[in-house]
This record gives sequence, C-alpha cells and structure tokens, in this order.
Amino acid sequence: MADSSNAFATTGRSRRGEPFVWLTAAGLTIGVILTLGLLGLVVVKGLEVFWPDRLEVFEVDQDGATESVAGYLVQDRTRRDLDGATHEEIQVFRGNLELYGEKFLFLDKADIRDTSRPDDLLLVERMEGGHVIGTAARIEFGDGARVGAEDPEFGDRLEALIEENEERRKELKEIEKDQIGRNAKQVKELTLRRRLIEDGVESGSIEAIDAELQELQAEFARLDEERGEIRERLEADRFLVASADGRELGIAGGELLHVFEPNRAGFFARLGETLRRMWSFLSDDPREANTEGGVYPAIFGTVVMTLVMSIFVTPFGVIAAIYLREYAKQGPLVRAVRISVNNLAGVPSIVFGVFGLAFFIYFVGGVVDGWFFPNAEEPVYKSGGILWASLTLALLTVPVVIVATEEALAAVPRGVREAALACGASKWQAIQRVVLPASLPGILTGVILAMARGAGEVAPLMLVGVVKSAPDLPIDAAAPFIHPERQFMHLGFHIYDLGFQSPDSEAAKPMVFATTLLLIFIVVVMNLSAIIIRNRLRKKYATSSF
Amino acid sequence: MSSTPPSSPDPKRFEVSKGTLWLDRAMTQLIRVGGLAVILAVFGIFFFIVKEILPLFTSAEVEAEKVVETPGGEALVLGVDEWGEKPFLYRGDGEVVVVDMESGERQVLPVPSLEGVEVTAVAYDAVKRRVAVGLADGRVGSFLVNYETEFDDEGERTIVPVVEPEPWFEVSLGDGPVTALSYGDGGSSRMIVVSRETGLAALRLGQKRALIGKPKLTLKDTTDLGALFDAGVTSVVASQNGEAALVAGDDGEVRYFQVENGEIVLKQTFEPFEGEAPVRMDYVFGGVSVAMTDRAGEQKVFSLFRPEGSSERLFGQTKEFDEVGEGTSIFAPSLRNKSFLTGGGGKLSVRHLTSGATRWEGEAEFEPVAATIDGKSEHFFLAGGSGQIQRFHFDDPHPEAGWRAFFGKVWYEGGEEPVYQWQSTGGSDDFEPKLSLVPLIIGSLKGTFYALLFSVPVALLAAVFSAAFLPHDMKRVVKPAMEIMASLPSVVLGFLAGLWLAPLIEDKVPSILLLCLSLPVAALIVGRVWSLQPMQVRQKFEGGREWMVLVPVLLLAGWVAWSLGPVLEGIFFVYNDPATGREIADFRLWWPQATGLSFDQRNSLVVGFMMGFAVIPVIFTIAEDALSNVPKTLTAAASALGASRWQVVWSIIVPVASPGIFSALMIGFGRAVGETMIVVMATGNTPVTEWNIFSGMRTLSANIAVELPEAAPGSTHYRTLFLGALVLFMLTFILNSVAEVMRQRLREKNKLV
Repeated sequence: MADSSNAFATTGRSRRGEPFVWLTAAGLTIGVILTLGLLGLVVVKGLEVFWPDRLEVFEVDQDGATESVAGYLVQDRTRRDLDGATHEEIQVFRGNLELYGEKFLFLDKADIRDTSRPDDLLLVERMEGGHVIGTAARIEFGDGARVGAEDPEFGDRLEALIEENEERRKELKEIEKDQIGRNAKQVKELTLRRRLIEDGVESGSIEAIDAELQELQAEFARLDEERGEIRERLEADRFLVASADGRELGIAGGELLHVFEPNRAGFFARLGETLRRMWSFLSDDPREANTEGGVYPAIFGTVVMTLVMSIFVTPFGVIAAIYLREYAKQGPLVRAVRISVNNLAGVPSIVFGVFGLAFFIYFVGGVVDGWFFPNAEEPVYKSGGILWASLTLALLTVPVVIVATEEALAAVPRGVREAALACGASKWQAIQRVVLPASLPGILTGVILAMARGAGEVAPLMLVGVVKSAPDLPIDAAAPFIHPERQFMHLGFHIYDLGFQSPDSEAAKPMVFATTLLLIFIVVVMNLSAIIIRNRLRKKYATSSF
Repeated sequence: MSSTPPSSPDPKRFEVSKGTLWLDRAMTQLIRVGGLAVILAVFGIFFFIVKEILPLFTSAEVEAEKVVETPGGEALVLGVDEWGEKPFLYRGDGEVVVVDMESGERQVLPVPSLEGVEVTAVAYDAVKRRVAVGLADGRVGSFLVNYETEFDDEGERTIVPVVEPEPWFEVSLGDGPVTALSYGDGGSSRMIVVSRETGLAALRLGQKRALIGKPKLTLKDTTDLGALFDAGVTSVVASQNGEAALVAGDDGEVRYFQVENGEIVLKQTFEPFEGEAPVRMDYVFGGVSVAMTDRAGEQKVFSLFRPEGSSERLFGQTKEFDEVGEGTSIFAPSLRNKSFLTGGGGKLSVRHLTSGATRWEGEAEFEPVAATIDGKSEHFFLAGGSGQIQRFHFDDPHPEAGWRAFFGKVWYEGGEEPVYQWQSTGGSDDFEPKLSLVPLIIGSLKGTFYALLFSVPVALLAAVFSAAFLPHDMKRVVKPAMEIMASLPSVVLGFLAGLWLAPLIEDKVPSILLLCLSLPVAALIVGRVWSLQPMQVRQKFEGGREWMVLVPVLLLAGWVAWSLGPVLEGIFFVYNDPATGREIADFRLWWPQATGLSFDQRNSLVVGFMMGFAVIPVIFTIAEDALSNVPKTLTAAASALGASRWQVVWSIIVPVASPGIFSALMIGFGRAVGETMIVVMATGNTPVTEWNIFSGMRTLSANIAVELPEAAPGSTHYRTLFLGALVLFMLTFILNSVAEVMRQRLREKNKLV
C-alpha cells in the first residue's frame, strides 16, 4: 500500500495537504533523532569514563596568592550568581581526598593564570579514598630503605611493590573469606547443635562438641594471627606522592592498585589503559560504596538470575502455549484466555513484584523455613533471594514466551502437520518431531525477548531480593555451591542505587554511565539476536521450504 | 524421546505400538495439566492479591466471654492491664478489687490513703491507669494501679497488681463536696480541674526534683474558673498534656482553657449540642480529639486545628457519629489507634475516629456503667451496675481502612478541612495514618498525561508516515529500531531523566517551549515550500525520504530554538524580586510568582519526556500495524479518484484505522500508568493533588516500590499498598483487554473488505 500511494505522490498530480505529509515525516524524524541521540549519549558518556584524560596543572589566583591545582577537567558550566552576573567555570577532579577534603573543585575561568601539562604527573588508583594526583616522591619501605623518584630503579621497584601487595591481598582474602568464614560457619552449626542437645531436642554428647569448638577456636586464633601479620605487611611500605601545591601524601603499599602517567602516554598507551580499565570494570568487585572498582557481582547476579528465570519460564511458557494452540478446544473461552495472557504482558511489573513478595517470600518462603529450617535464627527462605527474584520475573515474562510460542506454532503450515499425521504419527509425535522443530526459532525468539525484558527489569526486584551490596555470590566454592536463598546484586538496581541512593552522586556518575552502557549493551544485543532469529524464521516460511 | 519399538509380527503390523500410544496419552495429559496449571497460576496472581486485600474491608469481630460476678455494688471505675487478664474495679470506697478473668479469683487491694474519707467524685485515665478522686471535704487526690509482670523459672508470666497512692491537694476555692474532676498528666506539667458544689478551680501541679527517690509533686497554683459558670458545671476534662482543659456548663456552652505564659486563659467558647450540655467529654488516643456525648446519646467529635486565618489551634467539629443510645453512656479509648468503644443503655459500638466508621455494633447482656480496652486492643471489658464484669475478645486489625479512608475526603486530626492525603507512616505511636489513594491515583494519571502529551503526537505522526509513505527497505530498519527502543530498561531512562535531563533543562524551560513550537512549524514551512515547487522538480525526488531531509532542518530549528530560549526568557519571564525590586529573567522564579505554583527541578515535564521514550515505541508499533493493514483497495480507489496522498491518508487510512489507533493509545496509557523506575528516579515523589507541570508527583507504582520494602507484612499499610497494586492491575488489564478486542474487531473487518 505504501508503494501505491508513493506512485501517485511522485506524479504530483495534487499537492493538497503536502505540508501535513511533511509534518508526519517530522514525527518520524524526531523519533529517530531521539532514539539515536539517547543511545549515542549513553555510548559516548559510558565510553568516556574509561578513556584516560590528560592531567593539567592550573595556576589559580586565590585572593592574591597563586595556587596550583592538578587534575582533569570534568565539565564547563556557566553559573549565575545572586547579582545576576555570570561566571564561566570549570569543574576539576583533583582527587587527594585527605589533603583537600573534596575530590571536585570549581574554578572560575577568570582566575586561571596559567595551564600546563607536566609529563611526570601520576594518576594513582588505590583501595580507599579515591584517586591521587601528583608527582612521585619516593617509596619508604618498612625496613627503613628509601627509593627516591630520581632513582633509575624507581619504576621497577614501584611495580614490584604493587604486584607484591596484590599477592598479599589475595592471601588475605583467602584467609578471611574462605578459612575464617568456614570456621565461623562450623562454630555456628556446632553452637546450634549444642543448644538443641541441651534442650533435649537432639541426642549427642556435649563434651565432644565442646572439644570440637575448642579446636575451632584455636584454629581461629591461628588464622587471626596470620591475618594480622599480613595486614601489618600491607601497611608496612609507603608510596609518597607530592601534590601540585607541594604537600606530600602517603599511600600504604597495600592500598596501591595502579599507577598511570596519562600525560606521558601516547595514543596506544592510553588505549591500553582504557582496555585495562574496562576489564577491571567488568571483573573487579566494587569498592568505596560501589563508586569505584568494578561491577562483577552485579553482572554475575544479573546473568544468574536471568538464566534461572529462563530455566523456569521456557518449559512452562512452551507447555502453556502448546496446550492453548494444539490441545485446547478453540472457542470463545480459549480466545478470552489468549487475550488475557497477552494482556498480562502489559500489567505493570511492580504488580508482579508485589505478588512475588507476598506469595514467594512471605508465604512459600515461610512454609519452606518452617519445614526445613525450624531452628534458624534468621529467616532463610523467608527473605528476598535470587530464587524468588527469578520466579517473580518468570511470572512476569511467561506471557511473552506464551505469545511468541503460540505465534510460532501457528506459523507452521497446516500441510506439514497433516502430512505427519497422515504418515501415521500420533499427535504428540507430530508435535515433537515436526511442529516443535519448525517453531523452535520462534520459541527461541520469545525466550530471548523474555530474557532481555527480565535483565532490564528493576522495579519488581527491589521487592524480592536485590541489594546494593552482596558480599557473597549466589554460586561459589562453599558447599552446597548453589545458594538460591542469597540476596544478589543486579546491574539495573546498581544504576538506581548509585545514582539515587549514593551519598556522593557526583563521584558515582561515571560508574553509573558505565553500568548503563553495559546494561543497554546486554539488552540491545539480546533484542537484536531475537530480531535476527525472527527474520530468518520469516524468510524460511516465506520460501516455504521445510 | 523414545522411538517406536521394532514393528510387530505380520497381522498386527498396522497397529500403533503401545509405547507410542502410551507416550501420546501421557504427553496429552502432561500438556493439559501443565498448560492449565500455568494459565491458572498466572491468573492466581489476581486472586492472591485480592486475598491480601480482603481483610481491609472486614469489620471488627467481637466475641463475648463469660460474666464474672463481683458482689459489692456498682463500679465507678473499670481498668485493666496490658494483656487483658486482670481487670480492676473501684467503687469509691477504700479498696480496689482485681479480678482474674481465667479463674474468677478476686483480690482486694486496700488503698491506704483512702481510709476514712468520703469519695464524692472519681475520674479515670486509662493511659496512665490513674484513678482521681474528689472528697466531700473538697480535697482531691489520686492513686495509680500498676501491674508488674514477673516471670518464674519456667518462663510463665504472672501479673501482680500494685496500688500506688499519690498526694492529696486542698482546693482552696469554692465550697462543698467535689462533684466532678479530671486529672491531666503531661509529665512535668499536670493539671487537675475540680468542680465543687459551688466553684470551679484548676490546680496546676509542679514537680520538685528530690535528690533521692521520686520527684515530689507540689501544688503550684490554683486558678478560679468559676466566674463563667453561673449555671453550674456538667462535666470537665483535662487534656493529656496537662496544659489545657474543657469544661461544659449546664447551659450547654463548652469552654476551652489553656495555659499560656504560665496563666490559664479562656481560649474558646462553643456549643456542641444546641442548648444541651455534653454529659461526657473523653479524649481519643493521641490527645487531639475529644468525643462529646449528650444526654440523648448524640455523639460529636471536636478536634484541635488551626482554622483558616487563625494563628491558634482551636476546637472545631470534625465528625458526627450516630447516636450511641439513651441511658448511662460509656466510653473507652483504644490505646493503640483511634478506635473507641462507646455506648449507652446497653447498646455498644466500636467506632473509629479517622474514617468515622462504626466498626462493630452489639447489645450488652447487662447495662454497663463502665468500660475499658486493654493495651493491645485485643479485649474490652464492661462493668455492670451490680458488679458484673464481662470480657469481650476483640479483633479489628485494620480499623483505619475502608472505602471512605481510601477514596474519600477525610478530616484528619489537626487539619482544617477534609482532604485527600497519603502519609502512611509517622514518627509517634499516636500517629494517624493517612491512607487516601486519591493523591497517588492523581499522581499516576498526571505522569501518564504529560507522557502522552509528548509521545502521542510524535508516535502517531511517525506511525502515519511510516505506514503510508515510508519505503519498504527503510521500514525494515525503522520497526526493529523502535522495538529496541521499547526494550530500553526503564531504570536507564529514569537515571538519565533524573541525573542528566533534569539539571540540563532546569533553566532552559523557555527553550523547551520554543522547541515545541519550532519543530512542527519548521516541518510545515518546508512542506509548504516544497509543495510550491513545480512538478518537474518534485518528481526528481522519490517519495518517502522526506524524513531524511528533515533531519538537518529539524536539528537546525532545534538549535535555533534552544539558543533563542534565553531571549524569550528575557522578554516574557522576568521575575520581580519583591525584596529588592530587581528584575531577574529566570523562568524558575517567574513561574511561582506568576501562577502561585511550585517549580521543582525533577518535575512532570522531565518525567513526561523520558516516559515518552518508553511509550512512543508502544504506540508507534500498534498504530503503525493498524494503519498498514488498511486494505489497499480503499486507498487505491481514493487515489484513482484523484485524491492527493495526504487526502488518502486523512480521509481513508486514518478513519479506517482509527479503532487501532485508539487501542494503541490505550495500551500506551497502560504502559505509562504502571511505569515505576522513571517516576521513582525523576520526581521528588511527593504525593500531590495538583496538575502543575513543573512539580513532581507520587504514583501508585512508585509508592509501592518505595514503601513496600518497609511495610510490616499483614499491617494495614502493607495491605493498602496491595490495594494500590490491585488498582494498577485492574486498570491496565481492563484497558489492554478493551484495546485488544478493538484491535481484533478491526482486523476482522479489514479482512472482509
């Protein structure tokens, strides 16, 4: 139809109403510009985060005296003060939290006397307190040795220091999380059993338990000592950095993460640094109330939740669709059911969250806890967890799968189905061997669309188990390896939490943009693959080769 | 799956193998059961939510227990412990009788200070469990009945009642025995209002801190209030903070006295019942409202609030209840919520102040003379004229709920008029929850309205163009792109709205206004100019690519509008600072001055714009579908008759597809109504009932997301949030169903053509 009207348009017999055609075109143009603009904004802002900016030293007039400020430019802005006068300002990230008390600073452009880019400025990443910007001064080792920045070996020693301490941190983590954690868990279990025996609920020897407990205590003392030693060693060495205004700032060896010289680096070195930052963003744990470090646990949580959800949603959705399309007697009732299922996809997601909280957590979780964990001090399943979140999202997305599967089943040509039946196949055989394989791409599309929707959904998760910081992943090396009751982190919630609950939302902004980019990337890739699969499927049936 | 076993010998070779049949039957059953189960489970959501809500709409349940007789005459005071186990009676003599309701045992506690005196008036304060007594010789005093809990080795609880006497005070004013009194205890400031045969006095007590032991109560001063009550006094009540008192005279006037700068002054005189004095005045829990009952059983509630134009809090009538029944009236406030038990002449009813609803009504087995409710509001007790005590089990978990509370205007304590208000939690125990869903529903509709205001024109124009003019190869790109846009997580849109867009457009409102104007105008101008070109020129250009031409045009127009914004601001939106007289061109200041409405950074404009991103693809896809499916025969016929391409669109395609367009709008509406994260992140989440575009709102969905994690399961608050969810569910489900049915009808109609 589009073709037919076009054909007449180009002959231009009548120009009546032509401006309105252009008005409708403007609608499409605006839609396209908005979509591309939004995606572009997210991509640019998200990638910008990883690109190392050049560091600059600003000489600033401050009440007559000149002060040096080293840092990188964050943004320009125009501020209007109370008198109505406007000020051109720049916002500078200067780091060095201990020295200045604030990481960001606004400078009036009129006050800036001079700007330079010294080659030897360092950008130091550390565990706590944000970045440090300054020039290298020296390393002071715990044994009294000192290596100055002018020393030719300085660079190697610094690198060695960083590596050494990384090893130590790993060791420390191993002891704290695995060994001490296991110890604490055993102590908790034994104490509970001891109480049960005392109460006469279970039988056993209290003495034996006490002996075991003592053993565990001794082990804990040993581990604690070991931990203290490592901590001491982490504190022993110090890397000293001179700030632009000539003050010194010491960073303990154990705090040091990475040192980079952005002004000396060429394009490829900066590209390398960008990739390193991206990798650490993807693979590290978050630090400093999530504003630094990576989002690995959030990615992990999102992926696990989405996968568990699809494990639930696929069989249920497909079975329901097969029933509706192949087994149920087609009539007004089935039509009504079909419309309703279709409409459930349009019910606000928060409603599913409300249901998940009341049904899965308070009702089912309460029952499970009553049966299996009657002695637990805190609720195990009667609180938000990844299992409940997955089930809630499965309910939310099951209409998507049902609708997609039904469409795919309906698209299988009648002839194919009848041919199978004519060859003597039973109804199920026809479905299993002919109909299902043919509609597989369609089903897959539905599942991917459901997963994309589930991955991006946040509102219901806020009610059923997502948290801003979960120290333990839902799958780990501690028995029984899979912990469906654990709370988890999620990329979408991470965005919400960082942007709106974080005490320092200015410092968190780059992280939010990076996380946003990642989430959009995941969702768009899933959607694109669903669309591509669907198009292939259409082509297949268009040529009707089977 | 299993394969068919090797074929059977000759005669049976055409029979289907048992395995296949068995498998077929099994799968049929499995799919039947499974499919139905999934569908039922999905619809179970609805029923489960309804189940959670139902308790909100049930009234109180009351169960009478057995009557315990305590010989010795009529009780003047009936009180009870926290758990409702051991009520006590006081008959105006020198002892308190405590009754164990389980065993019926009686325990008599002598009150030492009451030996050899003649009690002529008593008053009881259930909050402090204080019995105040007035004597024939004009003295007033009081004692407390405390319950101490003891746990034995097995952890069994026993309650031990203890009487704690308090000092006597001489009333230096007036003559004759005490006829009525009331003791108001606000801790450091206390007041006893005493009416004697002649004379009315207010005694203010002070505490002297002792070095050792309890602080000592002393009489600070006595104020004569008698001058205004020539006709005599019917009833008195002192406020729970010890700073105010209400006195009803026999002429029907009630006077409100309050301590101001250390003096007791008359604040207000009012007549609650025409010519009739209230025989009872009782504070409802919280100490802000007083229930007044007259001899005929009429009951009205007066609350303290600041009337418009007044700087003082005065009493005004906020509620009127049904008649309680003629006869001796009783009153007992709940110590947990704003419910109270009242009645007269054997009739009983439990009422709730906030909603004005009667939660329960019944008849007593005997005519009660006193009543009380235990601290947990689980039992109430009645005492009869001949010393009977009866306990009632009382179950009313959601007294503050009800249709009127959720959807009607309610006159809350401290408010000057009935309002729609949502404020579910407060700082103190006696907080009155305000559970009106109306501001939330208005918030949802407001957000939706502004979202649709922006997205409907864009989406529909784009859909018309895409369906009628866009070449096929472009359509194949545009439609999936729109689908991807639909799948953008709303948390991303919310974050961009709150942290990027809101600060960006905060001071650019005039630019935005210009943008809304310049874009369509620019497109229309280009179209006009284009249509004036001779046919030869126009034919060189293939139709359907107009939107690409418009990209640079609209970007330019947008840029011009954006930069001209400040100029417009300088001309029209000049704020006049009343303090300094200076003029500042700032829309943010101008708007409140010009309209009296507020301007927030995170406002409906931002929400509407970002929510548009979520709604545009939905409307676009469905509307485009409907427009594309208009039968070719119709459009071809129109073209053949010489219609221009716009005429074909306007007089054929759009009217034929209008049900589809309408259903697209409804589905878009449904999407916007339930949107949660964008609203949570891009508004201040204040529940408002105004439609100002530059203020925020609180929607049903955002309210659930913010409050449900904090709500205690099973509480009224929790269930009310569920009610909000149900409203959302029903609204979107019905809208979508209607839209879907319309769409299907349209499809069938178009098939026939």
